[in-house]
Order: sequence, then structure tokens, then C-alpha cells
Amino acid sequence: MFKPFVYIQDLNLSYHHKVVLKDLYWEMNVGESYAIGGQSGTGKTSLAKAIAGLVPYQGSIEIDFNVQSKLPREVLYVESWYQFKNLEGVANFYYQQRYTSQQAKETLTVHAELVSYGKEKGLHLDQVEPILEALGFSTFASSQLIELSSGEHKKLQLVKALWLKPQLLIIDQPYTGLDVASRKNLNILLDQAAGEGVQLILVCNDPELPNCIRSFAEIIDGNLVKVDALESSNSIENPSIEIPDFLKESPVYSSYDIVKMVNVNISYGEKQVLKNINWEVKAGEKWLLQGHNGSGKSTLLSLVNGDHPQSYANELYLFGNRRGSGESIWDIKQHIGLISPEFHWYFDPTATVWQSIASGFYDTVGLFQQLPYTKSTQVDELIKYFGLTENKNELLNALPLGKQRLVLLARTIIKNPELLILDEPCQGLDQQQTKHFNRLVDELCSNGMTLIYVGHFESQLPTCIEKRILLEKGEVKVVETILESV
Amino acid sequence: MANYFNTLPLREKLNQLGVCDFMNSSEFLDGVNALKGKKLVVVGCGAQGLNQGLNLRDSGLDVSYTLRKEAIEGKRDSWKNATENNFKVGTYEELIPTADVVINLTPDKQHTAVVNAIMPLMKEGATLLYSHGFNIVEEGMQIRKDLTVIMVAPKCPGSEVRAEYVRGFGVPTLIAVHPENDPQGKGLAQAKAYCVGTGGHRAGVLKSSFVAEVKSDLMGEQTILCGLLQTGSILSFDKMIEKGIDAGYASKLVQYGVEVITEALKQGGITAMMDRLSNIAKIKAFEISEELKDIMRPLFQKHQDDIMSGEFSRIMMEDWANGDKNLLKWRAETGETAFEKTPAGDVKIGEQEYFDNYTLMVAFVRAGVELAFETMVQAGIKPESAYYESLHETPLIANTIARKKLFEMNRVISDTAEYGCYLFDQACKPLLGDFMKKVDTDLVGKNFNEGKDGAVDNRKLIEVNEAIRSHQVEQIGATLRKAMTAMKAIKTA
Repeated sequence: MFKPFVYIQDLNLSYHHKVVLKDLYWEMNVGESYAIGGQSGTGKTSLAKAIAGLVPYQGSIEIDFNVQSKLPREVLYVESWYQFKNLEGVANFYYQQRYTSQQAKETLTVHAELVSYGKEKGLHLDQVEPILEALGFSTFASSQLIELSSGEHKKLQLVKALWLKPQLLIIDQPYTGLDVASRKNLNILLDQAAGEGVQLILVCNDPELPNCIRSFAEIIDGNLVKVDALESSNSIENPSIEIPDFLKESPVYSSYDIVKMVNVNISYGEKQVLKNINWEVKAGEKWLLQGHNGSGKSTLLSLVNGDHPQSYANELYLFGNRRGSGESIWDIKQHIGLISPEFHWYFDPTATVWQSIASGFYDTVGLFQQLPYTKSTQVDELIKYFGLTENKNELLNALPLGKQRLVLLARTIIKNPELLILDEPCQGLDQQQTKHFNRLVDELCSNGMTLIYVGHFESQLPTCIEKRILLEKGEVKVVETILESV
Repeated sequence: MANYFNTLPLREKLNQLGVCDFMNSSEFLDGVNALKGKKLVVVGCGAQGLNQGLNLRDSGLDVSYTLRKEAIEGKRDSWKNATENNFKVGTYEELIPTADVVINLTPDKQHTAVVNAIMPLMKEGATLLYSHGFNIVEEGMQIRKDLTVIMVAPKCPGSEVRAEYVRGFGVPTLIAVHPENDPQGKGLAQAKAYCVGTGGHRAGVLKSSFVAEVKSDLMGEQTILCGLLQTGSILSFDKMIEKGIDAGYASKLVQYGVEVITEALKQGGITAMMDRLSNIAKIKAFEISEELKDIMRPLFQKHQDDIMSGEFSRIMMEDWANGDKNLLKWRAETGETAFEKTPAGDVKIGEQEYFDNYTLMVAFVRAGVELAFETMVQAGIKPESAYYESLHETPLIANTIARKKLFEMNRVISDTAEYGCYLFDQACKPLLGDFMKKVDTDLVGKNFNEGKDGAVDNRKLIEVNEAIRSHQVEQIGATLRKAMTAMKAIKTA
């Protein structure tokens, strides 16, 4: 009888004082690769971190590395979100900092980062080239880490993992923020790695997995249970609660023109990220914004949200006013509800759930003032609608990522804004939550709200989308109407 | 030019030193209106210049930058900072004559040359804004009588000024109007509007005077903020090496310890910092900090006296005239200290361990903060001003040490602060010679509680707690901190 590769006995683990894993027992055999799925908040990330030895736990976890293999005897855990550091080892960056040009370089370039990683792990640089190529990352060699988007940071972590090829590779949400092409290539690379002896544990609910994943498990009541396949919708249908009345009111538009861009160009030094963009969004339109990782989507949205320093030198109109005509960024933001992976990343983790949602009224990261009575009751109503009542006084960072995301989604709509900007809003949500949220978006939009939605997957979009803009390498490739508005 | 402060009669000296008003948020209801539609021209585009400018523009104000011809032609970093963020950039001749407000954010040392160059170009009735009063107070720069002279000084590094603004908050800010230059009486309204433009009004604004700002700022930076942190760091490191503690551990404890310890200070003052210690360690830290205060009091007083009399700025300006001979020599010497040259070891030190194993630094910080505060208040500076220049800034400076040790601290602070810091350090080390002989590894390097009975006498503990909590710096601190509670914690590795 062979010893299992991973052998877990009596594993007990708490996350922020709540028990998530209870007397967990599990064997993973040599040669097996797993996908671990299930609902958000069941303890998947805690289990993954425990196996990688990154969090304290009670019980025993044994890993029987193959001493004959050339692969490093190592468990590598790739986080769902990676927090990079500057040259002094400090992770003290802020939202939208990457759009500001500062000569004092605080971070390494991608190339320098890879060189230093290779040195640390004894890897050859020529072996990383094909991985960079396959994930479409070669062009980023000279980029500063601060300049990367969330999807690009994710890729960099995957590049490192596939380059190292540890005996056990655990990836938390491997596909988060990746476009369709990158996903496919990632699966090919993962299969190759598995062929060379890397065993994988993928923590995710995605339907399209690499072929090497043949075993599936979910955490149910604190224990890991083997299942035949990851169910795409295994949770109970949420009883449809009606949306709060204050969200049924149609927004009052100050202008019919929401966004108008005339030959907009954005560049950092020699590198041009947006080229001659012409785009108009009218009140009530529902747009889908698409493009590969790095095609300029986030930059485009930062212009609309008043966040980009280069807005001032471009011909850009927001809510009927020329940008740079004496308005403040707060005048712009008050019309908008925005969520993006980056916004989540930089959100104040020390705010409570209630405060986080309430801060949406003022477009601030964290709540700095008292709420009047009506607004405060609206926060309570929305908390109830999202099923977050029991979490309302908890700190945001004490919640699992999926729940954090729900909180920020509630923040995005709390003021019933004229324009909703949803940049991959459902990252980290399970399929049920995604469906639920998209239905809510459809309902809000039916009352006349304007929408700009970014999503990589056709199957996960709200149905109200009627127009599409596609960016490719910073240029508008397609603008089309997919659905005549009613 | 004569030292401005020294030209004043005693009555007026006291009057200006005593300007200190913590402003109510209702004073900012007029927003940026006093500057709306005005041309704001910033001189210099370093960290403060760029980040303040970004905030002002995002608040709807008209901002451009003026740089010296050489900086523009040479496409230096300041030019790139401004142009790549789409600001208009021009020479003094091009932009100053159009400016309603000229914002001087160049280093102290350049002020006389910069102001002499721009003043003749400024239009009648315009405003000149400083972020530090050295040029006006210590150098006695005379500004044309038709011009308004104001000061707006955000009490945080430039990157924080920006980071807090974009999240919808701000950093604590000090403002002042120069009484000799407010011909139209618009100075205060413009300074307030500028605060709103940078977001400072949300985090607490202190109305001060040029005189009070300079005399307290110099005192704070020379003694507690930079001087004592440098002396304490070097002495602590050397002591650990002498006693055989691992050099890598010692280096890490000192580099990061001061930041971790003062983070508690930032959140809850001396009280919170002392409360992180066990009861026996707290009593010990209290006792040795009392001893440190007695030893260092004359030195703190000498620094304050030299600042008030103008003696400090006189000798520093002599060094400027001498091509910074002393400054450069002392900077090089600091780079050669064993602490600076020993890299932090690859050891994990837990957050609580920084308190338990570095009780000596807790004592240094308490002694330094209280002494600086007391000395300033005795010299006629108001408690609110004294608080900002002692306790409030200590964690900010500690953060620079955590980044890259004393080298980084001395790089980030102004040359003026750095010069004063070295003066203090050189005098303080010999003063603490006998004291340091008695210090053992239980105070620095090892856990103070190890092998000791943790029992304390109730009455003794109550007495110590009472002494810590009732200090004036704690009482004023509690009020001022309430206004800036929303500031985010500095995050470290």
C-alpha cells in the first residue's frame, strides 16, 4: 500500500474566531489532481493555506514528497489576490496610484522581478520565456509592478508558479481576471506541468478545467467531501426578496450625454495605452466593454470615473460638462457607482460591513461622517436584501472574499446612481451569487439606469446589455448594437 | 536680511508664538471658492509639489508648474513629473506674471534665491504661499507690501497627501497668514480654500503663525523626531552587539521596532504605547524614562534656546555658505555606523515581541515626546502646536527608518532637520554614556519579562498609570486625534 501524497488528520481551523474546518480527514493520492469548489465562505482558502503551511492549525498535515523526482519538494500556494511590494518591502499603495506618473520609481520591473525570483529558486531564465509567451505576458517585461492591472498581477504569479513547477501546486481562483484566451492557454500549461509530475489543487468553481483534473471535492460542514463533479448551481435558490423601494426610483439625469470621448489618447512616456478613442454613452444605455487583459479597459473606465490625471489634456465630456472646466472629481463621482477588482483590492479593510456600504453615499473609501436617518435606514434595507444582516458589524477583512465582494456591490448601488460601472463585478462570487447579482442589475437597469459592464464570460452577463465596445491594444475595434433597446 | 523674530518686541513675539486655533469644520463650508478661477502656479515639482498639485486640480482648481530653465531644458524629473501628468509647465518669466497664487514648494535652502527671482515677476496684489516659515522668520525675507503671504503645511509626506485625498479624506494641516503681508485681508480665506483643495480640512486644521510653526517645527525635528530616534537607534544596536545578541536580529529589531512601537503612539498616545508592555515592564520603562528626562532636559532646553535666539539658524546658514561642509561630513559618518551597515537578519519578529524585547525604545520615545512637548510649551508655544511637532510626527519619521534605516530618514527630511538632528545626536550620545552602562539585554534584545515574577504593587501601578495618563500631551492628544481617526495605519512588511 502506497502512502498518500497528502494526508490530513483531525484538521481544525478557525478564521477570525469562527470554526471553518472541523476534524477534517483527507487523503490525496500520488498522481491525483483536484479541484475544490463549493459555495463562497466554506473554508476553501483556509484549507489551501493550511496545506501550504501558511496559517496556524490544529491536527496533522503530512506531505510525502517524491525524493526521486527532479521537481522541487515544495508546496506553492498562489493567492487569489497577490499584494506586491515596493523596493523597500512595503505594500503601501493606493487606489489609482498606477495612473499617476512619478519619477521616483518605487517598484521593480517585471523583468527584474523574474530575474530575482529565478535567482532565489535556482531557475533558468530561458525556461520562463515560453510561459510568458503562452500567457501573453512577454510585452510587460519593462513594466513597473505598480503599472500592472489586477489581471496582470495574477498572471505574473501564475508565470512564477509554472516556472518553478513545485511537487504540489495550489492555485486559489486560477482564472480570476483572465480573459478567455489566457484561460485556455493556462489549462494547456497546467496539463503540461501535471505531465511532468506536478500535482495540482485548484480552488475554484469554474466549469472549464484542465484535463488533468479528474477529482473533485467540496467543503461541507467543515469537512472535505469527494464529489463526482463541481455542480454549477448546487445551492438552494435564493427566495426572491423584492428590491428595496428606494432602488426602484428612476435616476434623475442632469444631462442626456453621460460620456463623450473625442480622439482620446493616453500614454506613459513612450507607451501608448489608449489611441484615438471616440465613444459616446447616452443616458439609459447598457454597454458591455470587452477586450483582452491589458487592452486598456481599466484605463478607459478610470477616465469616466474622474480618476485619471491625463483626463485634463483630452477632449472628454462627463455628464454634459467638459472635463477640466472647474469641476472636482467628487462632482463626477457623485453620479457614479463603481466596482472593479482594483477598487476592492485597495478598499479600506478596517471598515465594518455597514460603514463600507454607507461610504458609497459619499464615494469615499471608508466612512468619515455620520449618516442622516433616511440614508442610514437605506443601508439597513440593502444589507437585508443582500443577506448580510448577521455580518453588518464585522470588519470587511474578516469576511471571505466572496462576501466582501457582495458588500462592495451593495456599496456600488446604495445611492441609486445614474451610471453603474461594473468592472468584473462577480469575481469571487459563486455561480448562484453571480446569477442573483446579474438579475439585480437587470432590474435596476429596467428603471432607466445607465450601465457599463466589463465581463469576460458571455454566460455570466446581465441580459439587459444592448451595446458593445471592444478594445484591442488600446484602440476601439468594434462598436455595435446587439439588442435594440425597448 | 535680519532674523524677523528678533526684530519683534517681546509682546509681539509672545503674541505670534501663541497663535493656535484648532479650526472647526464649519469654517470650511465655503469650499475652494476663494481660489476658484484663480491661476495657481507651483514652483517645484517634487513629492509635495506634484501630489498637492494633483489634489488641487482634482478639486477643480487651475494648477500649473514653473521650473527653472535648466530643469525644463534638461527634462529633469521635476519636469517629467509635471508634464507626464498633463500639467502645463513654463519658466518663471512665462508663468509667474499670470499667477494669482504662487506656491513655493522648493527646499528651504533655495528659498532666498527662488523668492528673489519670482518676486519682481509677481503681479500686483497676488499671493505667495509657503509650506514652511524658515525663509520669512529666520532669514527675515522681506516680501513686497502689496503681496499676501500665507502658509499651508500638510503634516505628512507627499505620497500620503495624495493617498488620503483619493480615498476621500485628507491629512492634518497647519495654516498661517504672515501679519506683515495681508494687505487685502484675504490671506486666511485663501489658506482655508487651499486646505479644502488638498483635502486637509477633513483631517483637522490648526491655525498657527509663521513664527510658531518655525520655532516648534525646528524644535521637534531636532530633538524627538530625528535626533533622539537616531541616538536611541544607534545606542540600542551597539548595546546589543556588545552583549552578544545576533547582529541580524539586532539590526531588524532596531530598524522596524521604532515603527511598530510608535504605531501605538499614533493610535492612542503615550498611554497606548506604554499599555502594550506588561505591568512590570511598564513600571520599568516609566522609571528609566523619568531618568532619561532628567539627563536630557538641559540638552532639550539648549536646543529650544538656540532656536528662539536664532543661533541655530545662524550656524546652519554659515554651513550653507560653506557648501554644506559639516552636513555632508556628518551624513557620511552616519552612513558608517555599525547599525547602518548591518543588514536586517532574515528572522521573524512578532508584533508584540517588538515591545517586549525593545522596552528601551519605548522609554526613549516617552522621554523624548514628553520632553520636547514640555520644553516647547515652557517656551511659549501652545500645546496644540507642540503636539503636532512632537507626538504626531514621531510615527511618520519612524516609518522612514523602517524603510531604509537612518539613511532614509535623513534623505526624506529636510536638510534643515537633518542638520539639527546631527547636532543633537553628537551632544546626546556622550550625555547618555553613564546611563547606557547600566542597560542590559532585558531592556534591549531579550524579553523583559523572561525569568521575572510578573507581580506588581497595586499602588505603584496606579501611580505610574496616573502619571502617564495625566500628562498634558495626552489630554491635548486625545482631542486632536479624534479629528484624524480615519487616517489609515501605515502598513509594513
